[in-house]
Formats: sequence, C-alpha cells, structure tokens
Amino acid sequence: MLKNLNSKHIQRFSYKYLPQFPISPNSPKLGFSRSQIANYRSNFPTTIMSSSKTIVLRSSDGETFEVDEAVAVESQTIKHMIEDGCADTSIPLPNVTSKILSKVIEYCKKHVETPNADEKVAEEDLKSFDADFVKVDQSTLFDLILAANYLNIKSLLDLTCQTVADMIKGKTPEEIRKTFNIKNDFTPEEEEEVRRENAWAFE
Amino acid sequence: MSTCKFQIHPEPLDLFDLIPDSILLLILNNIADVKTLGRCSLLSKRFHSLVPQVQNVVVRVDCVISDDDSTSSSSSASDKSRGGGPFSSLLRLLVGGIVKPIQAIGQLLGPKRSTILAPSPSSALSVHNNNTSGDDEQHSGGVTHHSPTQVLKNFDEIKFLKIELPSGELGIEDDVLLKWRADFGSTLDKCVILGASSVIHPQIVASGNVMNDGGDDNGSIPESFYTNGGLKLRVVWTISSLIAASARHYLLQPIISEHKTLDSLVLTDVERQGVLCMNKEQLEELRVKPLSASSASKRTLVPALNMKLWYAPYLELPNGSVLKGATLVAIRPSEQAGQKDVSDGSWVSSAFEEPYGTAARMLVKRRTYCLEMNSF
Repeated sequence: MLKNLNSKHIQRFSYKYLPQFPISPNSPKLGFSRSQIANYRSNFPTTIMSSSKTIVLRSSDGETFEVDEAVAVESQTIKHMIEDGCADTSIPLPNVTSKILSKVIEYCKKHVETPNADEKVAEEDLKSFDADFVKVDQSTLFDLILAANYLNIKSLLDLTCQTVADMIKGKTPEEIRKTFNIKNDFTPEEEEEVRRENAWAFE
Repeated sequence: MSTCKFQIHPEPLDLFDLIPDSILLLILNNIADVKTLGRCSLLSKRFHSLVPQVQNVVVRVDCVISDDDSTSSSSSASDKSRGGGPFSSLLRLLVGGIVKPIQAIGQLLGPKRSTILAPSPSSALSVHNNNTSGDDEQHSGGVTHHSPTQVLKNFDEIKFLKIELPSGELGIEDDVLLKWRADFGSTLDKCVILGASSVIHPQIVASGNVMNDGGDDNGSIPESFYTNGGLKLRVVWTISSLIAASARHYLLQPIISEHKTLDSLVLTDVERQGVLCMNKEQLEELRVKPLSASSASKRTLVPALNMKLWYAPYLELPNGSVLKGATLVAIRPSEQAGQKDVSDGSWVSSAFEEPYGTAARMLVKRRTYCLEMNSF
C-alpha cells in the first residue's frame, strides 16, 4: 500500500490532522484568518508538504538504500532508468556492493547539497570532502572507479581516476608495479627494448 | 597416514585487471606528464599498448640549450643560462636594430639530465646548464638531450598538447610586468601584450603612500611618455615579445606536422610570461600552408602588423595591486583588418587570466592609439 502513496495522498492526510486552535474563553472568535492558516502551514516540516520523490536502490547483496531523486540522478545510468520508466519499485544494481553503494550515495548527497561551487567557502569545503573521500584502501578505490563507471557519475570517475594517477606519478616502474601488483609480462629482451625506446623517461 | 597439506599462496590481485581499457586510458590521460607516461609504458604489455593512445599530454622541458652554430666555449654557453640572459642582451641590441639572431631558443631540451640528439650536426657535445647543479659549467661528456619531437614519437593520438618551458625568454627586471599571448596559424593570427614598468603589490599599496596622479585624465598618453623613453621601451617590449613568439612557433613545426590528430597546442613557460596557442583550425592551416621563415634566424616571419595601444600611467586593480605605466598592445596582421570584424574586442580582454584580464579590460576603455609595423 505504501508504494502507491503519492504526494496527493500525503497532502490530504495533513489537512485531516491539522491541529485545532486552542479555544480559550478570552478568544473572541473561532474562525481562522488566512494568515493564521498560512502560518500553520509553514510550521509543518517540508517533507510532508513538498513532493520530493525518493528512489530505492538495491545493491548486489540485497541491501536497499532509499535516496532522494535529486541525489539518485547524479548517476546518469539511474537517471535514464527513471526516465525510461524502469524505476517503479526499486532499481537493482547487480554490479555494486552495499559497501560501495553507500559510499557512492554519500558522495552524491554531498555534491547535491552544496548548491554551487562559486563561493569560495563552499568550494573549499567540497575539495576537502573529496580529498578525504578518496582516502581509502586500494581495492575500495578501484571498486569506486568501477561503480562510478557503471553508474556513469562523471565527477566521481574523474576524482577517483585522478587519485590513481597521482599515486602513479613520481614513482619508478618497479615501485608502481609493487604498489599495484602489476605483473611484468615482458621478456628481458622486450623490456630492454622498451627501456631504450623511452630512455628519456628514466634519466 | 598424514595427509600432505599444500598451502596455496594466491598471487596478490592486480587491481588493474578489474578495470577495462577505457578507464585505464582515462587514468593515463589524467597523468598527462610525458615522463611518467614513458615509465608507465614499461609496466606491462597492456600499459605499453595503451600509452600511445593517450590524448592529453604535457611536456615539461627542463632546460634550454643554445644552438652551437659558432665555435662556442663552455663559458660562453654558460652565459646563456636560463633566466633569460641572452634576451636581455638581445633587448639592448634591439634598440639599434635586430642584429643577433635568436640563438638561445635554438633547441629545446627534454627532461632533466637526459640527452638530446641535437639536430644541428656541428655539436655532438651540446653544453647545457643542468638546472639542478647550476654550477656545472663544464662539458658533461656523453650527456644526451632529447627534443620534444623525439619524446612525442611514441604517442599516436595526441589531441591536447601542452609544452612548458622552464622560463620565459625575455629577461626583464623583477619589477617589470610583461606578458604576451599569441595565436598563430601558419603566421601570426593575433597577439596581445600587457606590460607595466612597475608593479606595486597590495601590501605596499595599503600603506597609502602612493599618489594617484592619473585619476582623471582622459586616457591619453602624456607628452612626457614620448621623451622619457617610455614609447621606446614599449616598442622594445612589443618587438621582443613578437620575436619570442615567432621563434617558438618555428620550433613547433616538426611536432605539428608529425601529429596530425592535434586539436590544441599550447606552448607556455613556468612563469607564464608568454603563451603561444594554436587551435584546430590554425594547426590545419599550418599543415596546409607551410610557414615562411625569417632569414638568418630560426623563427617565423612576422607579417606587416596593425597595432592598437592603450596606456594608463597608473592603474589600480580590484585585487589591490597597482600597475604603473600600464600598456596594452593588441596586434593583428594588416591583411586581416579588412577581412574580419576588428571591432570585436573580446579577444583582447580574454587573453589573460586574472588579475591581468581585469587590467586588460580596464585599459581597453581608454583612448586607442594605432600603430603600424613592417614585417620582420
């Protein structure tokens, strides 16, 4: 029943449960003026009065996350699913685990909440959030890259790829291999030739 | 009976195996630095095959050596150190006429301590000043140098190329401001130069000891400007900026002809004194119509020019700094004047980044002076 509840129903309920004015002997009349009603309306929390929709996302391990639509459509993939009408109940994301999905949602929430990055303070705040966001272990970082790619969230993909790029800069090939466990599949002769080709990079 | 237990030590997972080639290419594009990319191509066969596909490349040149045309000893070559030494002497010569060809920009060097195979056949041992050991003035025998052309040979699909020289070519005193931005096709398309004889920074201005003597002038140049050497200095700035720009343009030729996928090319320096830009149409123009070289010097011929000059003896910027003797020069070839809509001044004000963009916008509102210059 709950899933059929839309904003129209909610508004009707709120009217029904509008609290009555206290009737005291001193109050001269019982009628409500327009301004009094408007005042009451403004006291209600906005989630009841506004029509913000929430989307339910389901991770690969079955956990569900309810997020505002504005946050969910940071992902172009989810946005297209909603537009195509596939998002009635919940959106299954078989490629994303709950651990990663919760992180992605955290990222999207922060980026939606920060209105515009024009103001210096907001921009600094967002930058430090991003810097802390990517302080994770390597496998989580790569999982975030894959999730950002699958969900098509450009800013997250750029952020995570830039982080990996920064981890590569300044290291020798041996150090890079060690950091990322990259297997060297060159034969010694091939490696020698590649080294010669790119001699300028090693001096 | 005891059973043998084998312990299996799984190989640590190569995380890059999880991500597809397209994302790995995105990571490589974010790296951009050509030296790091060279190292990456050694990592594994997969990296080796992907590095040539990188589209966004930045080349950081470490030092510039002089072209050893004449018999030069190590001491004279060491004079041509980075920091614009040769250009300050060039500036002195310019007043009398341009005699000495550009030598300092003769060849570009590649990364540190690396070797360049100098195109000029005369010098096998090109002497250079390594910027890490500045006092090394002897021949470092066997030191080779790599030119950007050579370094970029491995890349097939470069779209955005940025080359960064270690310093600007124009040797100017600390207080003087000189910035130029030039756009080239097969010849000069447009150029904007911003100069100031002195720059006073906000901290000093705040102490309130600077007089504002040009506040209500009508934008015209004071008579003293012509007599106290102000005009001569501006002409020297203009000519030396154009020479630097055309020399850079000349050097880019082999790179441009080899990399046909280029969309944008920027040749700048660390101090951002001069920026040479070429966009897609301009690059195409250069491939189709080869440039004409100026005689006796390794630079492109600069065509006959129409110049517009604006001057302010005292210009206060919103960020608090003050430019004294601020000059803005907007240059276009004379041929273009009839063809394009010259009244659109947006290319002048958008040439520089802040805070100088604002300075340009403020100067453009003042009185315009027109000059002409012959080709050189």
